[in-house]
Amino acid sequence: MCNSAGLFVLLSAIAARPLAAQAIEHQRLRARTDSLARELTRASAIADLADSLEHQRAFSGRDTIAVGGLRIVTDPSPLPVRAAAERAWPVLDSLYGDAAQLLAQYPYVIRAFDPDTTAPRPTVYVGLTVPWNMNAEVLAQLLVANPPMPAPDYALASWLGGTLRPTTRAGRERTDVYLQLVTAPSTPARACFLGALAACRIALGLQSGGDVLALWYPEAAERRALVTRTFPDYFNHGANAGAFRVCAGGVDSVCDALLRQVSAGSLPSPLGAQARTTVLRLALRLGGRDAYRRLIADSGAPLFERLGNAAQANMDDVLARWRLEILAARPPSVALPWWAAALALAWAAVFGTCALRSSRWRLG
Amino acid sequence: MFRVMLYTQWKWSRLIILLGTVAAFALPIISLQGAARADRNPLEAQDLLRTVHSWGTLYPVLAAALGLLVAMAGWAPDHRGRHVHALTLPLPRWRYVLLRCAGGAVLLAIPVAAVLAGALFATATATLPPGLQGYPLALAVHFGLAVALAYAMFFAISAGTARTAGIILGVFGALVVVQIVAGVANLDVDLMSPLQIVVLGSAGPFAIFTGRWMLVDV
Repeated sequence: MCNSAGLFVLLSAIAARPLAAQAIEHQRLRARTDSLARELTRASAIADLADSLEHQRAFSGRDTIAVGGLRIVTDPSPLPVRAAAERAWPVLDSLYGDAAQLLAQYPYVIRAFDPDTTAPRPTVYVGLTVPWNMNAEVLAQLLVANPPMPAPDYALASWLGGTLRPTTRAGRERTDVYLQLVTAPSTPARACFLGALAACRIALGLQSGGDVLALWYPEAAERRALVTRTFPDYFNHGANAGAFRVCAGGVDSVCDALLRQVSAGSLPSPLGAQARTTVLRLALRLGGRDAYRRLIADSGAPLFERLGNAAQANMDDVLARWRLEILAARPPSVALPWWAAALALAWAAVFGTCALRSSRWRLG
Repeated sequence: MFRVMLYTQWKWSRLIILLGTVAAFALPIISLQGAARADRNPLEAQDLLRTVHSWGTLYPVLAAALGLLVAMAGWAPDHRGRHVHALTLPLPRWRYVLLRCAGGAVLLAIPVAAVLAGALFATATATLPPGLQGYPLALAVHFGLAVALAYAMFFAISAGTARTAGIILGVFGALVVVQIVAGVANLDVDLMSPLQIVVLGSAGPFAIFTGRWMLVDV
């Protein structure tokens, strides 16, 4: 009896010791978390203060140049800010339409520095720092590439892979999309190229719901290619290495299982961000001056619907037109232009004449 | 006269022409290797383009090699015989050179035709993904022009004296040496880039060797 009681006390003591230790550790970690949270709050407050001071510093004692809806805060310098703004404004206005007036609330801050001095420049955290000898064309490109428009909603930004910016190379972008359409290892992309608009919708990631993997890469060969070419570093090591080899060997169910481990958002879409941007730009172009405002108005609606609203057109028509524009941007053929062939023949004739007039046989 | 010239040139350069013809016929077929397989995945357009592009670098090499070897073979016996035979012929020099040049050009048409035949055969038997097209004729024209240019240039060099060839090589060698010395001396002298633009630029004599040598493209 006594032995049993002793054993019970001993076991209780052994069992209680880790529990007590755990409680202490828990308290210690909680205190640490609380302390970190306090530090974070303090750091955020200091960062906000620094931001506010930096904004004040950026905007104070400088000129404001207004061109259309553009507002540019800059310090006096020979930098051709107005000329650049006059070039940039029509580009921004044509993309955002009436929404470009929002830019009046979000001015650019430009600081010009002397490119010829070795004196250290003050560190700035707000705006663009450019040498004052930059020409108006380059500065305009800089303004166009960095419009301070408010960021779009998360759904639009993640579909686009960033924010919508104007472009100065629209033709080249369409040509790149043409190449994507032809070479993308995906059935919907190929079908879109051949004219199936429903496939265009899928390839552009405009479908709502559904199994993304099955929609984007319906064939086994495509999935195998996805595992072995797009995700080899991810799958070909550790616990997945065996499955990776089996998939590469041709067992499609294993490829499928591997790809199911990847979240839908991480799967590469058949057509990239460039293709999506081109379709969005077309919708805005079709929709007129209020298109951008309509696009960002309802962030909860499916993107297919939002693009249709922006374009104020049937989205199938928009996709059909987009496809035609992309097909029209086919890169030039590899066939030589006539002048290149003529030039080659001319050079051959020049060399031939040199041979006819060479000095051999000439006596003396 | 031309038939005799052509026959003698054929005798001197038949090995080059035969080997060149085999290579010219095989190159387009090899560059589309696998595209004709029944089990080929039609989605592998990018891989196909990459393969065709890689093999495409061999066309200008083959064109230059054929031009060089046939031009040299055309003049080698004359050089060996110190041009005594040519001087005994009742022909002005320009006409003799023209006949030699035409003989070589006719022989070089064989490998050019082989490229066209090989390219036509390769594209006809391949399963090309949608959006990709074969360009057998464009490739053969490109190859033919490159062969013609290489042949004309090397023919001119071979037709000249050793002194002429020496001067040409000497000028190029001097440019290279000056560039190397300038590099060693840390001088900001760049002779090669302008030379490259002049020679390989769109109006340059060797522009035909640059560009895309694609049998299949978008």
